[in-house]
Amino acid sequence: MVEKKKKPKVYDYFQEKEDPYAGGVAWCAGCMLELTARFIPKVLGKDIVLVGCPGCSAPVLYGQNLGAWHRMSYFSALMTGVASSATGISRYYRKTGREATVVCFTGDGCSADIGFQPLSGAAERNEHIIYITYDNEGYMNTGYQRSSTTPLGASTSTTPAGTVGHGKPTPAKNVPLLIAMQGAAYVATATLSHLDDFAKKLAKAKEKSREGFVYIHIFAPCVMGWRIETDMSIQICRMAVRTNYFPLWEAEDGRFRLTNEVTSPRPIGEFINMVRKFSHLKEPDIAEFQQMVDRRYAVIKKLCALE
Amino acid sequence: MIAQRGKVKVITGNSAAAYGAMLCRPDVATSYPITPMSEVAEQLSSFRANGLMETEMVEVEGENSAMNVVAGASIAGGRTFTATSSWGLSFMYDAVQHAAGFRAPIVMVIANRESPGILAVSGGQQDIISVRDTGWIQIIVEECQEILDTVIMAYRLAEDHNILLPVMVNYDGFYLSYMTTAVEIPEQADVDNFLAPLKKQPARQMLEPGVALGCGTHGIELGFVELRYRQCAAMERAATKLDEIDCDFGEYFGRSYGGQIDEYRTDDADIIIVASGGAVGTARVVIDAKREEGIKVGLIKLRLFRPFPRRRLAAALKGKKAIGVIDRSVDFGWNCGPMYMELRALTPEIGIVPMLSYIDGLANLDITVPHIARVVDEVHAAAKGKSYQEVTWIPLEE
Repeated sequence: MVEKKKKPKVYDYFQEKEDPYAGGVAWCAGCMLELTARFIPKVLGKDIVLVGCPGCSAPVLYGQNLGAWHRMSYFSALMTGVASSATGISRYYRKTGREATVVCFTGDGCSADIGFQPLSGAAERNEHIIYITYDNEGYMNTGYQRSSTTPLGASTSTTPAGTVGHGKPTPAKNVPLLIAMQGAAYVATATLSHLDDFAKKLAKAKEKSREGFVYIHIFAPCVMGWRIETDMSIQICRMAVRTNYFPLWEAEDGRFRLTNEVTSPRPIGEFINMVRKFSHLKEPDIAEFQQMVDRRYAVIKKLCALE
Repeated sequence: MIAQRGKVKVITGNSAAAYGAMLCRPDVATSYPITPMSEVAEQLSSFRANGLMETEMVEVEGENSAMNVVAGASIAGGRTFTATSSWGLSFMYDAVQHAAGFRAPIVMVIANRESPGILAVSGGQQDIISVRDTGWIQIIVEECQEILDTVIMAYRLAEDHNILLPVMVNYDGFYLSYMTTAVEIPEQADVDNFLAPLKKQPARQMLEPGVALGCGTHGIELGFVELRYRQCAAMERAATKLDEIDCDFGEYFGRSYGGQIDEYRTDDADIIIVASGGAVGTARVVIDAKREEGIKVGLIKLRLFRPFPRRRLAAALKGKKAIGVIDRSVDFGWNCGPMYMELRALTPEIGIVPMLSYIDGLANLDITVPHIARVVDEVHAAAKGKSYQEVTWIPLEE
């Protein structure tokens, strides 16, 4: 597909020029989920089966209370049954000798919390499916409640900062690392500020899903829940990468690699200051946050150093 | 009889269920072990490992996934099978309703066991009751041959294009799941032929990659109401459809079970005992003995619980002088047996006669010959005008 000498660019990975979505859809202005959802079929092609569940993506992708706002095949599963329903669909296609790319697309509430068991099970069975999480760090569709990927200190509607409360008391569950540790054909992190990297990973995901389980974790800021301006989302994605808050890496057959190594990371305060869900954090909180980010990055760095 | 005589094997009820499933060649089957059903999963895996079937077996990490996997495979167009029991069924409750909502014709066997309300690794039918309003067809069987045969019939029912509803085939956990009897295993070619009419139907809608068609159960306002109405209408049609399939099966294999209900010596009976599952076998013995004593008693085996066989029951019960119902579960809130409670709803059709509820056989306790003899005596006395107790917990009032 890519034969040019120069580094391939995002468009080189496109299988579809056409956007399979309707022009106007029921997502918020500045929503990273929307851009992610529109981007995925461009690389994976439109012959995919989307499997999802209730959440921010549901109204558009799965026709919650309406019809779907796109021209792809989809199955609207329960939050508890995304990876498992996809398993059934994929196994049936395999049984009948059909090659199809089955793509789970859910928020973090499903993959990190209520749908984690089937996700982990499907990964362990090495099902031939691609599971993509758009991580907006909470239950944004139901009103910005905390999920287990909500970061340390973040103020949400169920971990509000107040006279006694300081936001979420525990750090986020590192889902991509957990799935990589379980063993999968391919695991990667990606975000919209680094589209070439994202596209390359999606293309690889499609290829690797012929061999086994693929998991991609997308960092996807939420304008409403994080209390940011509608034109800030991409900048926040970029800052998350530059501070090593969200390092871009991949693990192919258990071999880890940083795909965008940040040599001199920016202090985490620069990321925190952009997001109002952190606005109550004081200097010591930010120092603690920095420690957490450094520790997590050190783990990934060590994994990448392994032969 | 059209079919060849099959080989007779001495096998358990669980094995009979697994053989039934294997013969129907499901595309995808799932398994997650739970007592007293685990053997079904083991048997299917063994069939697969020995090349006896080509089913994709998915060893899931919990019952919730067991149901979601078959739901996904079903909506993609596959024939599916799974099995569970008790709180395995509770753990898949959301998926059980979801599957029925999008009309996935799944067949699931359930080795009935007490519900987890009070921890009990023992038989009972509380699990049937806990899912009666999920939109699944529920059939309850009496013995091992009937388990195998009913699994085959269940596919004809579930996948009928006028039905398209999932079916639960229920058999007593512990009693039937582990009971070893002679079971005739039909020939594969005969089962293929019996299921062949399903292939001649209009194709149902399936999930296809690249086709702009989705599936879920989203409906709004009138759309939702219409989907619900169609679901209920299909459920209503399932009752008589089961009778037809049972007749077909009888003509084909030489065995039939009465469809919705099985009546035993009811024609000239004054009083009727209603029971379900393995207890029916014991009840037949009691009915014969009581007939010898001169009591004109008949027996109705409730095979179909959802949809409730109201028309056939009303016809069978009309004019009878008293009715006793034996339940292996309880109805919270009505404080009686659930099947008894539903039978009482037939009063406008059958008239006001004494109806007595008996709760027996909870937590693996035996429903014995003396227990049922007592039921017959009390129902007989009530028919003669003697005052009676409405609800009796037999093991506590022996």
